[in-house]
Amino acid sequence: MVIVVGGIMDNGFNILERLIQLTNLRHGVIISNIANADTPDYKAKDLKFEQLLSDELLGLKTTCAKHIGNNNLALSEDVSFEAGEQWPDRNNVHLDMEVAKMTENALLFQAALHMFSTKIKMFKNAVRR
Amino acid sequence: MNSFNVFKVSASALEAQRQRMNVVASNMANVHSTRTDEGGPYRRKDVLFSAETVQSDSDTLTGVRIVDVVPDSSPFRTVYDPGHPDADKDGYVSMPNINIIEEMVNIMMASRAYEASVSAFNMSKAMFLKTLELGRQ
Repeated sequence: MVIVVGGIMDNGFNILERLIQLTNLRHGVIISNIANADTPDYKAKDLKFEQLLSDELLGLKTTCAKHIGNNNLALSEDVSFEAGEQWPDRNNVHLDMEVAKMTENALLFQAALHMFSTKIKMFKNAVRR
Repeated sequence: MNSFNVFKVSASALEAQRQRMNVVASNMANVHSTRTDEGGPYRRKDVLFSAETVQSDSDTLTGVRIVDVVPDSSPFRTVYDPGHPDADKDGYVSMPNINIIEEMVNIMMASRAYEASVSAFNMSKAMFLKTLELGRQ
């Protein structure tokens, strides 16, 4: 999904789109951790996307507008292993922490969607006048 | 990237934990079984979990699978019970190597992990449904 930049839409759409993509990706990573809560030797993964997102926001201001909405970012490389304390089976998933992270991430996802909807509503409103 | 793969991850965890509960239930049911088809008392079984990616092009989504059900090689319990039909000449009976408390803990862990995966599944579903609402009044 690429939204025209520099036209009638503003960059807010791109930031929100990126946020929705990243929270979706992070949801998959957290779900994997929860699924493997009892798998020996499994190491918890996470997406450090707060950093990633701020980098992207800076990028929005400086780089060519055509780069925005590019899906070729090496997303799998951004997934890092967590360094938490290990259980005796060399697994370091903490189920309660993962559920908390999942909830937080889902709320961020829903917030982004809500803001996206609101923005669409604003444009619709402007067109109707 | 197929967005529906998150459901596969949760489903794989649900299936694995349910299979684990089956194995634990068999262990608990056979805590006093002194005869089996293989001969000798019942041997405790344990499941072997393995992480596996559900998507070939990316390693962000990792499901879980039971690769094997392995017998526990720890020694059998010996109980002195001369009246038991399976007692040896000294009156000792070999009982299964099952500790009922250990099995209870195991089944509780499986149950908690199952619950966590159910709530993860529901959260994925809520996120999907919310996305479908996008742009609606």
